[in-house]
Amino acid sequence: MSVAALSRARPTALGRSLDALYDASAALAAVAMVLLLVMVMLSVVSRLAGFNVPGTDAYAGYMMAAAGFLAMAHTLKKGEHIRVTLVLSALHGKARHGLEIWALFVAALLALLFAGYSCKLAWQSYAFHDISTSNDATPLWLPQIAMAFGAVVFAIAFIDELVLELRGERVVPVSDEATRNE
Amino acid sequence: MNDFAITTLLVVSLFVILGSGVWIGLTLSGVAWIGMQLFSSRPAGDAMAVTIWGSASSWTLTALPLFIWMGEILFRTRLSQDMFRGLSPWMQRLPGRLLHTNVVGCAIFAAVSGSSAATCATIGKMSLPELARRGYPDMMSLGSLAGAGTLGLLIPPSIIMIVYGVSADVSISQLFIGGVIPGILLALVFMLYIAGWSILHSDQIPPADAPMSFAEKLRESKSLIPVVLLIVAVLGSIYSGLATATEAAGVGVLGSLIISAAQGSMNWATFKESLMGGTRLYCMIAVILAGAAFLTLSMGYIGLPRHLAEWIATLGLSKFGLILALTAFYVVLGCFLDGISMVVLTMGVIMPTVQKAGIDPLWFGIFIVIVVEMAQVTPPVGFNLFVLQGMTKREIGTIARAAFPFFLLMVVMVVVLYLFPQIVTFLPEQMRR
Repeated sequence: MSVAALSRARPTALGRSLDALYDASAALAAVAMVLLLVMVMLSVVSRLAGFNVPGTDAYAGYMMAAAGFLAMAHTLKKGEHIRVTLVLSALHGKARHGLEIWALFVAALLALLFAGYSCKLAWQSYAFHDISTSNDATPLWLPQIAMAFGAVVFAIAFIDELVLELRGERVVPVSDEATRNE
Repeated sequence: MNDFAITTLLVVSLFVILGSGVWIGLTLSGVAWIGMQLFSSRPAGDAMAVTIWGSASSWTLTALPLFIWMGEILFRTRLSQDMFRGLSPWMQRLPGRLLHTNVVGCAIFAAVSGSSAATCATIGKMSLPELARRGYPDMMSLGSLAGAGTLGLLIPPSIIMIVYGVSADVSISQLFIGGVIPGILLALVFMLYIAGWSILHSDQIPPADAPMSFAEKLRESKSLIPVVLLIVAVLGSIYSGLATATEAAGVGVLGSLIISAAQGSMNWATFKESLMGGTRLYCMIAVILAGAAFLTLSMGYIGLPRHLAEWIATLGLSKFGLILALTAFYVVLGCFLDGISMVVLTMGVIMPTVQKAGIDPLWFGIFIVIVVEMAQVTPPVGFNLFVLQGMTKREIGTIARAAFPFFLLMVVMVVVLYLFPQIVTFLPEQMRR
């Protein structure tokens, strides 16, 4: 399959709705990124103008967390999460397919573990009325929902990739963006 | 189980999982989870969620996504054309002529970008074809670009400095300001080398372009004014203490949006591309940072960093010996890992050793950045090499050979910094007053 096939919609309704889920989550991440900028600028402007908006620093932190967690699945699908490919790129055919399955299986397990405990954290914050200790006094479960949701979508994306690899339908996008990563 | 066995088990599992191609951030948290589950009584899963939440929402880190976004915006502007046109008239008289546009261009772009590979790509987009068209020797134009591109890390803003500052608990503003003089110095060393080489090989340097009057030169450089203003606004506000690194980054994002709009390169499509590109790049780094934060916690519970520091202390290495050993260690590690993973993976373990040896964490940060720069131009994993390979379709070995003299110049720079640590600490000390 060529890279061009990537932009085509997937054949099954499930595949298409999964892609829509990743995209929607990424769109929310982008909105969080813009809000992060707004929060930071608000704190600059408010200090210069001499009025006080409490908690902008903490909100900026929550927005940053949301931007990172919600974009995880989309970034994976774009092939921009980095991994050591030294061994993988030396292998071909069956051996490579096998190692990809192993890597995706381990990754899916770890992502599931992370998703489970992220949900637990958000739930506990809600159940115990955990409140931020800085001056924003936000109930912590609110921003933590972004982490829980992002982690769940991330785990789904890995399982999706694993199933595609098992069926031999997985396309690894070659991204030139990844080379600009530091 | 004794410490040695625990350490061996964790290090081996780390490298096996990493080597088998599991994504880096997940591997770090996976190994941390194994370590904590097996060797401590604290519930590992809950500790993981709390630690990752804490690190991912910490205010100190907010400079990172903003500087990344700023770089993504500027990357999509006409800056690379402007840079070559604006700089080349001034370089004609130097020995080595337009080869210097690579170094000076990279140094200037580095002051608005936090990334070495982006610096390399932005400057090379214009300078590589222009230099080749005029007949400059390939090896020198490739090497100087690969080498000077690494200034993106050393000259603030710098992604790797933010990562180091957060992992080692050093002020990001101070690191940024501490990188200014070493960055300029390294650029000058590169230029000296180019000039010396060109005097020795004057037959390989093509003739100068048609001379321009002073007024013409100024007119060509006019397009660089907005970038210079942006640099002054971002770095000036940090140095003067008017703004924190995060606030300066916010100003930088707005400034680059304005520059891009004024140039006419901004529309909905490029805005969206820069925003999504920046978000993904940040997300990639955030996942590694999250894994590393948990790994650091887990290592701390097991007591690994303390034991390592004690063990290294018994070796009786001199300070210089330690720095030498660490340089070699990072250069080898850099053959397999990217700079960010290298820093986050080792900081939690190595910092106690460094502090015990009486090395200033601020100085050590700049040292680490230069060592990571070296790793950027050494194969098989060197991001500047990948970028140049993508741009020129040349063999990675050829590019690495072209960059090798510049690698050696960075080694010299490390020695100079060791002998004269004031080069790093002078400006930050002025700030503290």
